[in-house]
Amino acid sequence: MARDDDRVKSGVALVTGAGRGLGRALARELAARGMLVAALGRDATSLTETANGSDRITPITADVSDFNSLRSAFEQVDALGPLTLLINNAALYPRRDLFDETPESFMQTVDVNLGGNFAATRLALDQMAGTGFGRILNVATFADLHPLPASAAYSVSKGAARILTRALVADLADRFPDIVISDWMPGMLATRMGIPDGLAPEQSATWGAELALWHDPALTGTTFEQAVEIPPPRGLKARIKDRLLGRHTPLRRLD
Amino acid sequence: MSHEIAQRHWDVIVIGTGIGGGTAGRALAEAGLKVLFVEKGPAGHRAEQTPLSPGIFVPEARVARGFWPGQMRANVDGRATRFFAPLGAGVGGSSVFYAATLERPEPHDLDHSAARPHPTGGWPVSWAEFAPWLDRAQALYRVCGTPDPLSDTPCPNLAPPPPLSRGDARLTEQFRAAGLHPYALHSAIAHLPGCKDCLGFKCPRACKMDGRSAGVEPALATGNAALLDRCTVTRLLGDGMRITGIEARRAGEMLSLTADHVVLAGGAFGSPRLCLASATESFPRGVANASGLVGRGLMFHLNEMFAIWPGGDDPSPSKAVGLRDLYWREGQRLGMVQAMGVAASYGEIAWYLRGLVENSALGRIPGAVGLTRIPAALAAKLLGTAKIFVGLLEDLPYDDNRVLPPEGDSDEIAVDYRIHDELRARRRLFRREIGRALRGQRKMFLTRRPELNFGHPSGTMRFGDDPARAVLRGDGRAHGIANLWEADAGFFPTSMGVNPSLSIAAQALRVADAIIREGTNGAR
Repeated sequence: MARDDDRVKSGVALVTGAGRGLGRALARELAARGMLVAALGRDATSLTETANGSDRITPITADVSDFNSLRSAFEQVDALGPLTLLINNAALYPRRDLFDETPESFMQTVDVNLGGNFAATRLALDQMAGTGFGRILNVATFADLHPLPASAAYSVSKGAARILTRALVADLADRFPDIVISDWMPGMLATRMGIPDGLAPEQSATWGAELALWHDPALTGTTFEQAVEIPPPRGLKARIKDRLLGRHTPLRRLD
Repeated sequence: MSHEIAQRHWDVIVIGTGIGGGTAGRALAEAGLKVLFVEKGPAGHRAEQTPLSPGIFVPEARVARGFWPGQMRANVDGRATRFFAPLGAGVGGSSVFYAATLERPEPHDLDHSAARPHPTGGWPVSWAEFAPWLDRAQALYRVCGTPDPLSDTPCPNLAPPPPLSRGDARLTEQFRAAGLHPYALHSAIAHLPGCKDCLGFKCPRACKMDGRSAGVEPALATGNAALLDRCTVTRLLGDGMRITGIEARRAGEMLSLTADHVVLAGGAFGSPRLCLASATESFPRGVANASGLVGRGLMFHLNEMFAIWPGGDDPSPSKAVGLRDLYWREGQRLGMVQAMGVAASYGEIAWYLRGLVENSALGRIPGAVGLTRIPAALAAKLLGTAKIFVGLLEDLPYDDNRVLPPEGDSDEIAVDYRIHDELRARRRLFRREIGRALRGQRKMFLTRRPELNFGHPSGTMRFGDDPARAVLRGDGRAHGIANLWEADAGFFPTSMGVNPSLSIAAQALRVADAIIREGTNGAR
């Protein structure tokens, strides 16, 4: 599509959690659009299936919550070419009643959903800060707003990951406007983590890939839900100002 | 790494890496001398595009961005204020954030004559001696622009400017029609393909020429120079005649560094603060302070900002037009007028309007300052395609205007400054002359009170032939200290009516030349 950024596409995309579901669909969609993809996951067999013989997809076995394993995975990514795109997709959603959750099991989920997200981002930034260029897309959810029962670890860690995106923007946006960082809510999907009558991950992945390959500094800090931008919350003063200035910004769309 | 650097005896240590330090260090390294740059701030990431933002107040975040970490505590006419001044602390110093306006001074900025008497009787170096160094600096910084049509001295090494924007071309025509003499502002930008001008933010490439791209980086490329970043010089050590060592702190560790020559280039605030903090038995009033003038004679430019509506539909900010029709009026030193390079955008205008409210009766009503944001947004809409210009009014040296010694190892910079009556009078004249020059043009002054340009400090280590009335000799060496030199805006005996950078670079080249000729003489 027209918005695909040539410079992003000329490098390597790293998709975490690419062994199944949305991650697999994103890896395949990016490869179909002509990008080299490093598909990260814990299970070599499912990663091979993700690649499905494509020479554009390189499976790399790693656990995002094991930082040494992640570091060596990034070394393998380096060998493929310059990293221009990171999609933080890997996540655990253990449905567990609070009395079945131990401190250890709770932190295990946090280690993947928050720790893995930070670690992959931090390692990607080593590369992207060198060129001042890159795209980081964080797969996010609304789970933190109204946590479902039996979802404490997931809701907390994914909510914290959204705060992490805002913290990254605070630390990086002024220094590296060409490292574009944003959140994307894929919607309820028909994946192992999602619901049976959810959306096909392949459909959602076309929007995710579209957003991931869209490199506009003005996207930094935005959140998209499926194919549509979610407007940032506006305070009273901001709304009065918009009204006075006749300012109306149409929402950006991916479809 | 830092241990190897600390153990080595260097030919020259340059303290600070802005325009002055970077330029001097480069010239020294290119001449084959072994040079160590010591920089308080970090080298940072080369691809950064960080703008200098007063809104970032967390000290660690300021350090990471190459901003001076501490606040300015300015006592102006007895009224104390605290704020973040536009000062850098990183490789390239403040210059990585500058607008790269490298304007030549006028002969009368340096020379005394009956027609244009000089307030200090003239610099210790004449225009004729100094101009070749300006020429060299123009070449080194790849300065482009057009010569000032009012000037009767040559301006070599000036590359042709890029074509003017539509708005600037229109403005230039209107100025000419009004009998003025606009020219393309002298700019140290190489205009590589994809150039973003980078006015006010770090240039991610070696395109904007600053203390880093035209100084430290070429110096390091010679193989003769090394850099210690994140390293704060705490004290100069010596025997009263020479500097024998430098005490510095890096990552919590104290280092002791030695060199044949030491070049102070920490800026017009940093260099005197270091000298004053180095008082010992050998230097009872501080280093190089036999005259008692270290830190004194502090000058700023007064910024006279105004908006002009030239008409037309080009919304881009004017950034390439300057004029010197008002440089000298009615026997008075005023200064040049130039495009600010910023849009009449929300942030800028809000800042001015907030200043207006703060200074009015409304300023005492809690919340009123915040409320200006809405009218500011409206003002931005009203200002629309206005072009923002600034007149740089020359400031003159007074001993009671000064930067104070640092308190302990605090990064807060304290200054005492009084706006003298003659400056107020020249400001009135400047405003009147700006109004006259632009008669018939829709315009609006954006400054009400005198606005000190805290990004243009100078004069705190002034040079001069009389050791009782100057800190430095005419060649840039400290009076009475054989191996201590200065290459930053501290040396200015007068502030001139132009941006300081080109003159700092020229003096840095002079100082480097003098050190090269001196060799180890006087140093050991």
